[in-house]
Parts: sequence; C-alpha cells; structure tokens
Amino acid sequence: MRLEGVLTAVRVSAARGTRLRTKRVESVRVLRGAAGIMGFLALWELGVLAHVPILAQIPAPLEVARAQWQLLHEARYYVDWLVSLERVSAGFLIAALVGIPLGLLMGWRAKFRYLTFPVFEILRPIPPLAWVPLSIVFWPTTESSIVFVIFLGAFFTVVLNTLAGVRAIDQRYVRAAISLGATPAIIFRRIILPGALPSIFTGLTVGMGITWSVLIAAEIIAGKSGLGYMTWEAYVAGAFPIIIAGMFSIGVAGYASSAVVRLVARYAMPWTKPF
Amino acid sequence: MAEPDSHSLRRRLRSSQVLLGAAGALAFVAAWYLLVRFEVWRFAKLPDPLSVVREWTARRPQYGVSLYTAAYYQDIWTSTVRVFCAFALATLLGVPTGIALGWSRSVREFLFPLLELIRPIPPLAWVPLAVLMLANQEAAMIFLTWIAAFFATVLNTMLGVTSIDPAYVRAAYCLGSRPQDVLRHVVVPAALPYVFTGLQIAMGVAWFSLVAGEMIAGQAGLGYMILSAYMDLQTTTIVIGMVTLGLVGFLSSALVRWLGERLTAWQFS
Repeated sequence: MRLEGVLTAVRVSAARGTRLRTKRVESVRVLRGAAGIMGFLALWELGVLAHVPILAQIPAPLEVARAQWQLLHEARYYVDWLVSLERVSAGFLIAALVGIPLGLLMGWRAKFRYLTFPVFEILRPIPPLAWVPLSIVFWPTTESSIVFVIFLGAFFTVVLNTLAGVRAIDQRYVRAAISLGATPAIIFRRIILPGALPSIFTGLTVGMGITWSVLIAAEIIAGKSGLGYMTWEAYVAGAFPIIIAGMFSIGVAGYASSAVVRLVARYAMPWTKPF
Repeated sequence: MAEPDSHSLRRRLRSSQVLLGAAGALAFVAAWYLLVRFEVWRFAKLPDPLSVVREWTARRPQYGVSLYTAAYYQDIWTSTVRVFCAFALATLLGVPTGIALGWSRSVREFLFPLLELIRPIPPLAWVPLAVLMLANQEAAMIFLTWIAAFFATVLNTMLGVTSIDPAYVRAAYCLGSRPQDVLRHVVVPAALPYVFTGLQIAMGVAWFSLVAGEMIAGQAGLGYMILSAYMDLQTTTIVIGMVTLGLVGFLSSALVRWLGERLTAWQFS
C-alpha cells in the first residue's frame, strides 16, 4: 500500500517535472523567436539611422509603424482590403469550382486525361502574369481581367493536385468496390472524392498563396484600387513608409486566407491530422 | 503480371495515349482558330494561331519581333541571365541557410519565426521596395527573382534535414564521426532530394516573379517585351512572348530536374 503510494507520488512528480520542462522549453522557444524578430527590427532601425548603403533608402520600422497606425484610421485602407479580398475570393472560387471537377475527371477517366493533359502541359509553364495584357484585351472590364488572371494562377495548381490525388488512390479499393457491386456513382462518392481530398486541399492551399502574388502584380499593372495598387501608389507618390505597411498588410491577408483554407480542410477531412 | 501480350497491350495503350494527346492539342488550336476567325464574342480581339506562327517565323515581321530578329534573342538572353543569376544566388544562400535551420535547434528557434513573418509577403509585393532600395535596375530585377526562389529553397532544404531519421545521425556519431563528417556524409546526401524539389519550385517561381518585375519596372526582357507589345496593341507579339516564356520556363525546369535526377541517382535505381 505504502510502496504503491510512494510509486504514484514519484510518477506524478516525474510527470509534473516533464510538464514543467516542456513548458520551460516552449517558453525558451517563444523568447528566442521574439529575440530573432526584435534583433532584425533593431538592425533595420540602426541600419537606416547609420545610413548603411542599401538600407539608407528605405524607411525605418518606427516610421512604418506610425504609417500603419495612420492607415488604420483611414476609410480607404479598408476599402482597399475589401476590393483585394473580393478579387482573390472570386478568382480562387472559380478556380476551385472549375479545377476540382476537371482534375477529378482527368484522374478518373484515362481517355479524358490523355486528351486534355498535353494542352495543360503546354499552357502551364506560361507564368500567370504573362496573361495580363491579353486578358485586358480580351475581357470587357478591368475587374474581370484581374479576376481571370487570379483564376489562372490558382487553376493549374488545383487541377494538377486533384489529378495527382485521384491517381494516387490504390486501385484495389476501386476493384474491391466494383466486385462488391458498387455503381460508378458510389465509387466516385465513396472512394475517388474522399481519396483525393487531402491532395485537393494541398492544391487549394498552394493555389491560395499564388493567388495573392498574382493579385498584387495584376493590381499594379491594371488596377486602380486594392492593396497592391495602394503599395504601388505609395511608391509613385514617395510615401515610402506606406509601401512597407502595405507589404505587411498583404502578408497578413495572405496568411489569413491560407489559414481559412486550412480550417476548411480540417472540417472537410476530420479523419486526417491538420497539416 | 507477365502475360504474353501485356507488352503489346501496353504499347497499344501508349500509342492511343499519344494519339489522343495530339488530338486534344489539335482541337485546342482549332478551337482557338475558329473562335478568332468567326469573331465569336470578344475572341475577335485576339490573334489567331496561324497569324502568330506566320509572324513568329517571318523574315520581316510586321511588328518587329520574330525568330529572325536580334531583338527577340536579346530579350530572351536578358531574362535568362536574370533568372539564372537569381537562381544561383538563391541556391548559394538558401541551401546553407536551410541546412543550418534544419540541423541546429537554436538557429531554428532564433531565425524561423522571423522567416515565417517575412515569407507570407508575396514576392511581387517587394517590387516597389526593390526598386527603391536598389538604384540599379538590373539589381532590382535580380533581387525580386531571388527573393521568390530563396524561400522555396530554404524551406525545402530545412524540411529535408529535419526529416532525416535521427538514428542515422546517432549511428554516425557512435561510429566516431565528427560533426563535419556527419554533415558531409549523412545530412547533405539525405537532404539532397528535398533540396532539388525546392530548386524546381524555385525555378518556377523565379520565372513567375521575373516576368511580373519586368512588366512593372523593367526596360528589357521577355516580360517587358510583352508589356510593350501590349502598349502598341500588337497582340501577335504578346502571344509570341507568352509562348517563348512558356518554352524557356519549361526548359529551365527540365534542366533542374535532369540535374537533380543525376545527382540523386540512387533514388531511382
């Protein structure tokens, strides 16, 4: 009895010790990360103050923080956010709605894949931004041409990842289902779709990242509004701190939208660990 | 699965694959041609494939850019040099950074959060800052291309190092290896396949951001060629530029892939 009690006490205290240690390791990790970021900011500030060649041209972090604070009080800043978000979501959603079914069909039906894959491989290496001029010529409004280019940015990644996901499904599952009398509709719904889902979401996450990059360039080249245009306008007007505040805002926007995709992925695939 | 006619079956499958692929590509070009020719909706504004080919192979091109003009090769050369400079810099700086981040926990803990803070900023959002920081136009273009390629290289290299089975590292130490031996004989070879995955992605994003950089702030190169053709409303030249970009991008990715397959040959044996 007594021995057992002692043993339990030892075990509990050992467990507490590990927990304490992991907690300490965790806090060291956070501190070190913060130190790295603070060190970077300090070097940047000092570099600007000391007129180090390349850094001398750019605004110091404190100025950037002030500019960001001012931006937060301007209505136009939020309008720019909204416009950019609208463009990205439109292009991204169209890419998902067109790309996922297309990729599924290409993966599922070999004939269809043979027919369409070469065209994809021809078009894919053309960088999305190279489509901007042709897109402006083709589409009736600037807005639709920007959305089209964003769509292209995500489209190829979504299609190719969906296709790869379907092709990676173990053929034995499909054969087993067929021999148990499953109809094509059931195979599609129970095997193809869930089997490809992780890969589809990888494609969507990567595609979301590309989307923001494309948006910025498209807004600079063709836009009159949005976060990318705001950044470029700040450059043209010589309001340099706003450039970096704009870059920061774009980073936050991109990060947040990738987080949304990951969240959806977790709800759509409760059986996998979140990546 | 060694059935007697499985070989010929496979061959027949392959030939039908090639035929279907050719049919698909032909259908695409034909659809493009017909849509433009019969002026369906706004396709009337685009050039048809035949006139693109004619312009591309003309000795005296209508708009000044074809296989027979020096300007065409100058633009290709300018862009290619920029991409390869940036790519080389990204490899030289990115691979060691990635190895350091993956191998040493303190380096990772100090630097990784900073990296993760900067990484979500799309490479193209750096355009104004790059132009501002680097007075030299060439340097600004290379910087933009570099920053895109750098992150892809660093992250994949780091992933490669962190996914090494620690047992290998311990075994090497046990057998008396010094840290530099472990680095040379365990860490680098084990990370190499990941490094090349990173480099392939890097090559793709390098062309991607170079084109945007040249369109926004360039005075030469393929991206600039496309944009100036747009300004002069020469849609055929735009398409020639796009196709060229696709070809050059494809070839440079193929080069990286070929190099990677040669250097990590043990994977495929």
